[in-house]
Amino acid sequence: MRAPRLLRTTPFRLTLLFLALFAAAACAFLAYIYLATAGEVTGRADAQVSREMHSLEAVYRRGGLTALNQAVIERSSGDRALLYLLMDNHGAPISGSIAKSPIGSLVGDQTWASFVLTQTDTDGAVMHRPARGLEEVMPGGERLFVGADVSESEAYVVKILRALWGAGALVILLGLAGGVLVSRNVSRNITSLTDVIAAARGGDLGARARIRGTGDEYDELAAGLNDMLERLERSIGGLRHAGDAIAHDLRSPLTRLRARLEVAMIEADAGRADPKAALHQAMEDADGVLRTFSAVLAIARLEAAGEAPDQVLFDPGALAGDMAELYMPLCEDKGLEFQAELTPGLRARGNSEFIAQALANILDNAVKYTPEGGAVMLRVRRRSSGDIELSVTDTGPGVEAAERRRVVERFVRLENSRNLPGAGLGLSLVAAVARSHRGHLELDEGPGIVGDTGPGLRVAIVLPRVG
Amino acid sequence: MRVLIVEDDLEAADAMVRGLSDAGHMCASAPDGEAGLAAAGAERFDVLIVDRMMPKLDGVGMVSRLRGNGDQTPVLFLSALGEITDRVSGLNAGGDDYLVKPYAFAELIARVEALARRRETGSVQTLLKVGDLEMDLLGRGVRRAGQEIDLQPREFQLLEFLMRNAGQSVTRTMLLEKVWEYHFDPQTNVIDVHISRLRAKIDKGFEHPMLQTVRGAGYRLEP
Repeated sequence: MRAPRLLRTTPFRLTLLFLALFAAAACAFLAYIYLATAGEVTGRADAQVSREMHSLEAVYRRGGLTALNQAVIERSSGDRALLYLLMDNHGAPISGSIAKSPIGSLVGDQTWASFVLTQTDTDGAVMHRPARGLEEVMPGGERLFVGADVSESEAYVVKILRALWGAGALVILLGLAGGVLVSRNVSRNITSLTDVIAAARGGDLGARARIRGTGDEYDELAAGLNDMLERLERSIGGLRHAGDAIAHDLRSPLTRLRARLEVAMIEADAGRADPKAALHQAMEDADGVLRTFSAVLAIARLEAAGEAPDQVLFDPGALAGDMAELYMPLCEDKGLEFQAELTPGLRARGNSEFIAQALANILDNAVKYTPEGGAVMLRVRRRSSGDIELSVTDTGPGVEAAERRRVVERFVRLENSRNLPGAGLGLSLVAAVARSHRGHLELDEGPGIVGDTGPGLRVAIVLPRVG
Repeated sequence: MRVLIVEDDLEAADAMVRGLSDAGHMCASAPDGEAGLAAAGAERFDVLIVDRMMPKLDGVGMVSRLRGNGDQTPVLFLSALGEITDRVSGLNAGGDDYLVKPYAFAELIARVEALARRRETGSVQTLLKVGDLEMDLLGRGVRRAGQEIDLQPREFQLLEFLMRNAGQSVTRTMLLEKVWEYHFDPQTNVIDVHISRLRAKIDKGFEHPMLQTVRGAGYRLEP
């Protein structure tokens, strides 16, 4: 059988351990107090007995046995609460308040003893009282016993002892209660966290821990947990979305590919057609799938790395100049006006191969979507903030403001562009490249409606200033 | 030419052997780096095709040891890792070219042939000549049948690469890598436009078109 939940909690165990240590310390303390008090009480009785013995010895020295006998008789009947017994050389009683010495045999000249005094009071009740006494041999060989009833002192010690026991019990009780309270409090806080974790493990990433607003370490822990869940939910959501998008983008060409192969097989079987054309088409479909796959991988690796590898200082104007040289003939062939406005001598930090690829993706899109007679403009400049902006503006149909945010997400392709070639990963990859350089991607409206096209699109990679 | 294929995926190796044999090359294959090293030491090959990730001894380790032995046979790395850093580490280990999986067969064959050819024409040339086309690398001049042709700097580099690989297919990716030094695939036909401009300059007015399109592969400069 397992211990109840409370007993298994760490705070409760710690409390028990602490309690045990505390109880041991308390016991040691109480024992010291007891010993000190008890010693003090007996010591006081002993001192009284000793003083009395000295004074009676003085009487004996001055007046001999007769004077001592006289004194013992006087003092025995007095108010003093002491016990006396004077005995002759053989131990036979001469005078005193008790009939018999409680001390059996003397060791040397002087012997101390604790004993129980049995007395019968006036009502005939027998009483046993603790007592302590001293017996000495007088110079003449007579023996004198002086004792004290210590029942009052004993009672005092017992009272103290009882108080000490009570205090000890109270300490343990309070400690236990405190432990239970603390551990229940801690457990409640921890349980609310473990509940959230259990929910998340069960697949509910929307679960959040409650923050009580006390700003203590539980709040800190809860806030950390919530933040972690938030990120996890976002990235899992992204992955899920990516999965759907990949499935969509890969399934269609794969389905097409399969259909083409099947038709080619049937046709070839029937001897109706040469399967070569179909195979060629199938290969192109496969290439499309592989391109999508490479882009997905590239994005995933960039996002996983966080920062683009091998970053160096480079001249963004020169890099864009090379891209302009690469794309200008294509634009001209398509009947697009191509302009480049490149600020020379700028410096940016990054992986120039990735930046070039991102720029190529943007230019690809611009060329693809801008109708004949339009214009494509490539621009590199430094913003007043010092950030470096590489932008491409086209006069194509542009992207609706509401769609622009979606476009830079991974794997999104707008519905109206589905009939154009491309995997829809272009801008997603560009956004990933920008992010991996601590920069960002901006999408705006282009120059507006020109003729019957527009409003165009302006895509800018913004890289942070160097230094 | 003789090609050694070092690849642990036997099916892929088999496909390569068949493709290269169809293209008229002799092939041998080895299933891992150690076997590859032994085979390369036992016979003379013109080109080695080496997979990067293999059991026992991986591609980079094998090529480092090969170069350590003084063997300078051109190596084409095959890899599923396409990042720049992967490519750089492969080339640093002594690889001469790097092809990312999956690849088109035409691409593989074109690159293997270019590597073998580069080895043959190792000496420094100042004059390239293909058919009636001449390129003066020092004077930066190009003539066809004695007629001066005016080329832009990039067109000059493009033609130089085609002339150095005359008679061989070169792919668009190879051109982008060797002429523009970009290691990614643009999705539009940017290279085609540059080729057609170059073609207009060198073939216009001549009966025999030299710069030919190879279907499914790329381009070839024919004498």
